[in-house]
Amino acid sequence: MKKVWAIIKREYIVRVRTRAFVISTIASPLLLLALALLPGLLAARGGGERHVTVLDQSGDPQLFDLIKNRLEPHDAGSDEAGDNQPQLTRYVLERRIVQADEDIQKVINNDYTAGGKADQDKAYLILPAGIFDGAKPEYRSKNTSDFGIRSLESAISQAVTARKLERAGLTGDKIKDFTRRVELDTKKLTAEGGAQDDGGMGFIIAFVMLFFMYMTVLFYGLFMMRGVIEEKQSRIVEIVVSSVKPFEMMMGKLIGIGLVALTQIGIWVTSVALLSTIGLSIFAARGVSLPHIPMSMLIFFVLFFVLGYFLFATLYAIVGATVGSEEEAQQAQFPVTILVVIPMMIFTTVMANPNGPLAVTLSMIPFFAPTLMMLRIAVINPPLWQVLLSMAIMVVTIVGAVWLAAKIYRVGILMYGKRPSLAELGRWLRYS
Amino acid sequence: MNVIELKNATKRFNEFVAVRDLSFTVRQGSVFGLLGPNGAGKTTSIRMIVNITAPDDGEVLVMGRHMSADLQPHIGYLPEERGLYKKMTIHDQLVFFGNIKGLDSRTAARHADEWLARLELSDWRGKKPPDLSKGMQQKVQFIATVIHDPDILILDEPFSGLDPVSVNVLKQAITDLKKQGKTVIFSTHQMEQVEQMCDDICLINHATKVLGGSLKEVKGRYGRNTVILDYAGPDDFLTPDLVKRHNRNASYSEILLQDGADAQEILRRAVAAGVRINRFELVEPSLNEIFIECVTGTKALASQRVEVGA
Repeated sequence: MKKVWAIIKREYIVRVRTRAFVISTIASPLLLLALALLPGLLAARGGGERHVTVLDQSGDPQLFDLIKNRLEPHDAGSDEAGDNQPQLTRYVLERRIVQADEDIQKVINNDYTAGGKADQDKAYLILPAGIFDGAKPEYRSKNTSDFGIRSLESAISQAVTARKLERAGLTGDKIKDFTRRVELDTKKLTAEGGAQDDGGMGFIIAFVMLFFMYMTVLFYGLFMMRGVIEEKQSRIVEIVVSSVKPFEMMMGKLIGIGLVALTQIGIWVTSVALLSTIGLSIFAARGVSLPHIPMSMLIFFVLFFVLGYFLFATLYAIVGATVGSEEEAQQAQFPVTILVVIPMMIFTTVMANPNGPLAVTLSMIPFFAPTLMMLRIAVINPPLWQVLLSMAIMVVTIVGAVWLAAKIYRVGILMYGKRPSLAELGRWLRYS
Repeated sequence: MNVIELKNATKRFNEFVAVRDLSFTVRQGSVFGLLGPNGAGKTTSIRMIVNITAPDDGEVLVMGRHMSADLQPHIGYLPEERGLYKKMTIHDQLVFFGNIKGLDSRTAARHADEWLARLELSDWRGKKPPDLSKGMQQKVQFIATVIHDPDILILDEPFSGLDPVSVNVLKQAITDLKKQGKTVIFSTHQMEQVEQMCDDICLINHATKVLGGSLKEVKGRYGRNTVILDYAGPDDFLTPDLVKRHNRNASYSEILLQDGADAQEILRRAVAAGVRINRFELVEPSLNEIFIECVTGTKALASQRVEVGA
């Protein structure tokens, strides 16, 4: 046991002392923060400005101005703000009055070809003559999958209602009051049935949890593999296994590297916990709402990390023991790495219906549980029995993986020749 | 007293037999040479002694007991192809190697410093292996082998790749350890070193022992069948009816006689051929000759065995 402790200590100290460890501990959360914010930033920038020619057949002189007003950015808090939703695309409207009996298609055709070449960004909004009597306005553009169209729709809807109310004899403030947007307040239902404000950050928290789980399990699993290869390649194994049993050596490495990972995660979790208690109130005082991550979620994260790490690091240890060099490992690690990566490719399915049978099944598969069950925990509150069951399945799988790894590791680390075939690996299991 | 004893040890890997029915004993305080060509089964034999693998049949006794994990701290093993942790300082890894042999860190650190001073590496204790020359690294590996003050040293090709000065430093260290009563097992291809240092030898070829015993006795078995001849002139008087093998080096020739050939006949022919002779001496064969003789001689046997097996 004293010898195993020496191995654990070596693995831990050598790794924690490196600059890479310090940098990754500090930089990863920053990188992830950037990554989480990037899609939003990109979408906002990507939308940019869109010039829309409004073909106005409504015959109403004020409708256009009302729509335009509502689409234009206003200072936050201003009364005029018809729509406080952040706009992904900024619409710049230009009015062209078209007589009700004119053929709208002709007008568009003329305009479209007038510019010489067909403009990618050209967009038309048709306000038909009967718009107040139920005729549908029409938006025509090359790109109709723009997220910003929703805000255009809402602006038109509000403007039409306002004009109708005005025609019905209402005035100014009353109209404003009657057309005020109703905002839906989204709250998370907790296990106890209480309501919890997630500040619209639920998705980001879930994504951060998912990504960190994926990243740390993959990184530390690969650390294990490289460590095994280093010792095998340099023949240090011979000295070590002439003093310690191969199984003890493997467990020492697994635990040592695992403790390095836990140190890093511990630092992250503590800073998040501090931020959500002390930091939250400081930021809240300045009007910035930070995501609140409940303590239970952090605990589950650590638990699932430990399980995920042990499962994958053990599998990576098998890979390391069967190859002779990092180059060979590139290929050999594929079957293990793909198991880590698959959840990242299918997590949207789970996110879409986190309590559906597919999501529940996927989150029970031991290789996917660390990421997908964690995701479900972050998105909804899955029944506790499901969480515990997935953990139990993982524990059983880990025991099996360690048993397999012990058999292969012991033979593999002392075999320097060519990479073994699967049949040879099978024979290794029977060596005494 | 026998420190190590192999009794009919056999190790198989599936159909392949790495060591077959191997028996030898190593006396306490002796230097034992485990010899054989590449792939003969030396490494597997050593691995059985250091408890990395266990024999399928037969026994391995160390200090009179069946080899087990408890006995490992009594052995220091320097593998043939060896390495060090690249990212650890010399001193730190020596302490680590001491730790896994059961030494506490303070004792390990003291031993490491003593040995580093002895092998003139004290200035490098805080450096990492990539900063050291290959020879220095090899000395560090030697220290890793002896840091826990083992009773038995197993050194696989300890001098390969070392410059003559380092070889002498290491030889001196080994000789000193022997004087303290330690037992040393050598595995090497360099027969001159075996002749210089070993008391007993065991020669393995194709997984089987082909020769064993004390060096003196083994050589005596072959008799004085070798002529050392220092001469000037042509060598056409050395005809195959008398001479089995002829190694001519810069200062003299080593002539292995045919079985039953008379050494005096060589002398007679040389004089008749008008060759000028500076030295004529009848000696036991060199270990190198015995090695080649045994290894090439057993090849025929080995191929027969394969046929039977198939």
